[in-house]
Amino acid sequence: MSEKKKFTYYPGCSSQGSALHLDESLRAIAPSLDIELEDIEDWNCCGASVGHIGGGQLPNLSLTGRNLAKAQERGKQDVVTGCAACYLNTHAGNEKIKNDVNVRAQVNEALSAADMEYDEDLQVRHMCEVIVNDVGLDKVREKVTNPLTGLKVAGYVGCQTVRPFAGTDGGGNYDTYDNPEFLDNFAEACGAEAVEYNPKTSCCGGSVAVMSPDRTLHLIKTIVEDAVEAGADVIATPCPLCQTNVEMYQDAINKKYGTDFHIPVMFYSQLMAVAFGLDGEKDAALHRNTIRSEKLEKMAK
Amino acid sequence: MTKPAPNTSEKYDLGFANWVYENVNGGDKLGLCMQCGVCSGSCPIGEQMDHGPRKLFMMIRAGMKDEVLSSNTMWNCTSCYRCVVRCPRSVPVTYILQDLAAKSVELGYAKPNENSKFSNSFWWSAKTFGRTDERLVTAKYYFSFGVVEGVKRGLDNLKIAWGMIKTGRMHLTMPHQIKDKAGLKAILAKAAEIEERESKS
Repeated sequence: MSEKKKFTYYPGCSSQGSALHLDESLRAIAPSLDIELEDIEDWNCCGASVGHIGGGQLPNLSLTGRNLAKAQERGKQDVVTGCAACYLNTHAGNEKIKNDVNVRAQVNEALSAADMEYDEDLQVRHMCEVIVNDVGLDKVREKVTNPLTGLKVAGYVGCQTVRPFAGTDGGGNYDTYDNPEFLDNFAEACGAEAVEYNPKTSCCGGSVAVMSPDRTLHLIKTIVEDAVEAGADVIATPCPLCQTNVEMYQDAINKKYGTDFHIPVMFYSQLMAVAFGLDGEKDAALHRNTIRSEKLEKMAK
Repeated sequence: MTKPAPNTSEKYDLGFANWVYENVNGGDKLGLCMQCGVCSGSCPIGEQMDHGPRKLFMMIRAGMKDEVLSSNTMWNCTSCYRCVVRCPRSVPVTYILQDLAAKSVELGYAKPNENSKFSNSFWWSAKTFGRTDERLVTAKYYFSFGVVEGVKRGLDNLKIAWGMIKTGRMHLTMPHQIKDKAGLKAILAKAAEIEERESKS
């Protein structure tokens, strides 16, 4: 891909809060990857993994319907998001609407209450899949001017970035469910070393970790412990909720298990921003991690 | 005294199974389940469930409506989708559990629990602002347990909140919200109306 490719961008709610640093670093690296991002105008929440319980199935799906109707105002270009939950909901909802005329009719009947309609057949894609399939690792390597030599990275993919769509045609067939390689490849393309790491796609507890940490601290402990034992300097992840959960609960884990974990959890896009020679604060947003990586900050321009 | 012989007509009420097949999202694929247990074996917090998905699906076939709808199984699903991608019969396990959770609330089986309270707080924010305001969802969730528990949970997480504020990941001003809140409100009301209409037809 040598020419710029335009995408309609769905930032998602965490882009204005807990995952501000994912949004900032993605927008910063996009031009280097020849990606142009045009935001969905007045986008709304995707419903995440609990919206259907509070609101019901069709109201929850209508959230996605509204986003897609707004996305089609930008044209037929693919929709892309960096958030795992936004991707899962919007991709799954879009496929459901496209493949079932009754569902599309119901969603459009709901949208008509605001004079809106979704009649396109858009594609909803994950940023990581776009980087693998459209941009390509060669382009990532080509853009590295500040290789992260000596940085050991544990690639923690999490669940919803790859499950359940990474191995489907609609999901771009870009990797496997249990042992995905794209994140390690991103780290190595940036000049870092991807360490052997087993819990790549172990669950952090997702929203259950937010509502009842006691039920899921043991899951996060394994994710952190294996990274530390593998000698990683940082954990890298594509998922907003994984990043926040694995970062913010290390104190609680230390308290509960008598451990002493303090390992930074970064987004892959922050690593890329540093490796592309962009600004450590403005572009890589390294100051937004509550556990900071001195090693990466020293490498940053 | 001899044990009473199982009364198959009572033990196996296919009425509930058929209701699940027809009304629960993904339920039409439940008949494909061959009870292999890959789902339960793959579940990250399956040990905290009353019954793993495999057993729950057998209970559905056995017509155990009350036990199924009041179990905590669906409330422990983290939506990791490991069972979905591993199921050799392509049963959409996660989707079924997610909708069973919604149905158990709708039909009055679920007692208010952490997950349902969190879901309500989450939906309130999505519906009111069009966006998830992580601060308000969390605060509303904490205080849904009462003032004392709310304050306790808030204090327990003060350090995390302070970390988020310092790094600019939690703002202190008005909630982020969409411009066309009225339009969204109308869409959601209409969608609820359609869902109600369809469930009666």
